[in-house]
Amino acid sequence: MKKLLVAVALSTTMVASLTGCTDDTASDASYPNKSVSVIVPFSAGGGTDLCTRAIVDAAKDSFPNNISVENQTGGAGAIGMITGANSAADGSVLTTICVELVTLPHTTSGTNLHPDLFTPVLMINSTYSAVTVKADSPYNTLEDLLDAAREGNVQIGNSGVGAIWHLAAAALAQEAGVEFTHIPFDGASPALTSLLGGHIDAITVSYPEVAAQVEAGEVKVLALMAPERNENLPDIPTVQELGYDVAVGTWRGLGVPADTSQETVDTIYEIFSEASTQQSFIDFMNNNNLDIDILGPDEFSQRIYEEYELFGELISDLGLGQ
Amino acid sequence: MIGEVLSAVLNPMILIYIVLGVAGGICIGALPGLTATMGVALILPLTFGLDGSAGMLLLLGVYIGAIYGGSISAILLKTPGTPASAATAADGYAFSKRGEGGRALGIATVSSFCGGAVSCILLMLISPQLAKLALKFSAPEFFMLALFGLSIIASVSGKSLAKGILFGCIGLLLAMIGIDSITGYVRFTYGNINLLSGISFIPVMIGLFAMTQAFIGIEEIFLKDEIDQKIDRVLPTKEDLKSIFKIAPITGLIGTFIGIVPGAGADIGAFVSYNEAKRFSKHPEKFGTGIPDAIAASEGGNNGVTGGAMIPMLTLGIPGDATAAIMIGALTIQGLQPGPLLFTDNAVLVYTIFAGLFLANVVMLILGLSGIRLFVKVLAIPKTILTPMIMILCVVGSYAINMNLFDVGVMVACGIIGYFLHKLEVPASPIVLALILGPLAESNFRRALLMSGGSISTFISTPISIFFCFMSVITLFWPFIASRKKKKASETV
Repeated sequence: MKKLLVAVALSTTMVASLTGCTDDTASDASYPNKSVSVIVPFSAGGGTDLCTRAIVDAAKDSFPNNISVENQTGGAGAIGMITGANSAADGSVLTTICVELVTLPHTTSGTNLHPDLFTPVLMINSTYSAVTVKADSPYNTLEDLLDAAREGNVQIGNSGVGAIWHLAAAALAQEAGVEFTHIPFDGASPALTSLLGGHIDAITVSYPEVAAQVEAGEVKVLALMAPERNENLPDIPTVQELGYDVAVGTWRGLGVPADTSQETVDTIYEIFSEASTQQSFIDFMNNNNLDIDILGPDEFSQRIYEEYELFGELISDLGLGQ
Repeated sequence: MIGEVLSAVLNPMILIYIVLGVAGGICIGALPGLTATMGVALILPLTFGLDGSAGMLLLLGVYIGAIYGGSISAILLKTPGTPASAATAADGYAFSKRGEGGRALGIATVSSFCGGAVSCILLMLISPQLAKLALKFSAPEFFMLALFGLSIIASVSGKSLAKGILFGCIGLLLAMIGIDSITGYVRFTYGNINLLSGISFIPVMIGLFAMTQAFIGIEEIFLKDEIDQKIDRVLPTKEDLKSIFKIAPITGLIGTFIGIVPGAGADIGAFVSYNEAKRFSKHPEKFGTGIPDAIAASEGGNNGVTGGAMIPMLTLGIPGDATAAIMIGALTIQGLQPGPLLFTDNAVLVYTIFAGLFLANVVMLILGLSGIRLFVKVLAIPKTILTPMIMILCVVGSYAINMNLFDVGVMVACGIIGYFLHKLEVPASPIVLALILGPLAESNFRRALLMSGGSISTFISTPISIFFCFMSVITLFWPFIASRKKKKASETV
């Protein structure tokens, strides 16, 4: 019996220490009066994770009771975002919301994910699709690639079916009146590997994902699907300059559950918009090829709903919805 | 430059980071559910404040330690700490049951070192040449590799090949759950969002191995069969060393090649190595009953993957496995872009990483051998205490992967199923192998057909895919070939 008691005691302490139980007896001070966690719906080390950790690191002094980043992966980001949306609406759980919030509701049934689950607080980064081919590819301009697609089979790799980089290639094809063979991969990295191996013709993932290979002279970017030229990449034309009215990209920002009080939303916005001006944050983002793109609650919200409509139409045109 | 590298690596602070990394990695690896990938992800934020080489070496230490650490719980508790040690569990635990847990740990430690060292040497000498191999892999080659991996079910099925194949197929069916990777349709989720990305195989593995073993442990509480673990020596005997040095360097080589292939990690490396060692063994029937060769094969193989996975990461900027993907993130955080330019722009850093990787393997050998007496004490813990502790670790481990309670449910269900499968003498490895390889096989089969415009001949159009096709056929028919050979041999005698 004694042994059993020891075992029970041992196990309880182990569980407590391993799951990191913290005592959250909140005092009635203003926000943030307890420890705050930020849910990242993708795995550690990826772009979404890096953006979140950078901004959280810059803002950590405003959280005397600690702020931590949790990666809750799965379901192409749906699981982390839904968990975040369903957590306490007191600002104690923030969620990194990303473009999947406006694409997944159209492509995947049964997720219940919808932009109205969140009050957007601050957009911190946006990155646009880069039409990329191998350095020794016969295609030197976007028009070369589109011409090839008019005549025959051009295979474009993307980071997953229905993912934003698939939609980017599909939107370009629709606008240019051509057809691509879309080859979905499990993430941007295997798509890039396949391009480097010469197995596919082009990829439409984001610029930071191909930046190292561009610098090494292994691949070349024909055009960016951005609304305007990137100031760090002045030589790369936008697709719009070349006559196709498409701009598709991903974005990351912070959101809180929809019924969070306006007062709390304002405080969180103030803390993080202040953090986004810190030099350490700016340097980190620049070093990682992550473009800083700040939008406040209203503009961010407007962008989310506009894209929700836009992608809804595109996805149903493509026959991807279900 | 050699001077710079040596002074960078032999810096006491760096050595401390390596030792801390390896020790932490061994603990993480030994706990079921905490995988090498997770360990590296957990430690990643700590490296933000360190300089480039210190951070990388800390992560590499964790990686190597964790791949090795998984074998400790696999051997002592039949509870693979990481998927990489699933192939070690059956043979390793057979040793412990005979009271030779210490011997098995010694073999595993030295074999892990051999595998790790071989891959490290290959990494240093010919990584740019080997890296090109990674680019040769397209969808058809990946499919044939996965097919070859699945054919290994034939050699991990234990006594009954039929049962192995049957449960391998069940594993493949389970792998179909979730979003279809080519069309995006949602399959067999019944509206449950937790199933969107499929059943993750780690909770399944924890359930089938660790939880099942805990249930069996409950049965054994009332059986007084305390086995005295005899440890006369920590270093393996001469005979053991002989079989280690015959097998581990070769499986280390196999592991390195598996590591180079993007998307194939230490788990696949260990199974492939086990299979090859069994094929060329004089006593293939003894595999699974606890022989040194089996442990040397799988442990040499999984640690061989560590160096291999670094090759495409450092030379091409593409990850060789999930852990390498996180390390790419770690390097970019430091403002270093892994890829072709890393060797020219940051040569000292690259060679510091190489040297540090080798050092981490040496540290693993020393820590592992000196810790054996301590590790084996686990077996002296009464079942009444050990069993609930394992159960708690199962719950924590399966929760920690995605921070999702659903996975805990999957783990418990698999534990119960695993218990009955154990009673029916069905081996668990085929299910786990099929769950690991199913998605790789399916998506690449369909991707290959998409790329070839529907032509099946794409699967035998390159030397690599023909090689794997040949290997799969050999693996499937080897038991028949071997038994005929034996017959012939006995007739001539």
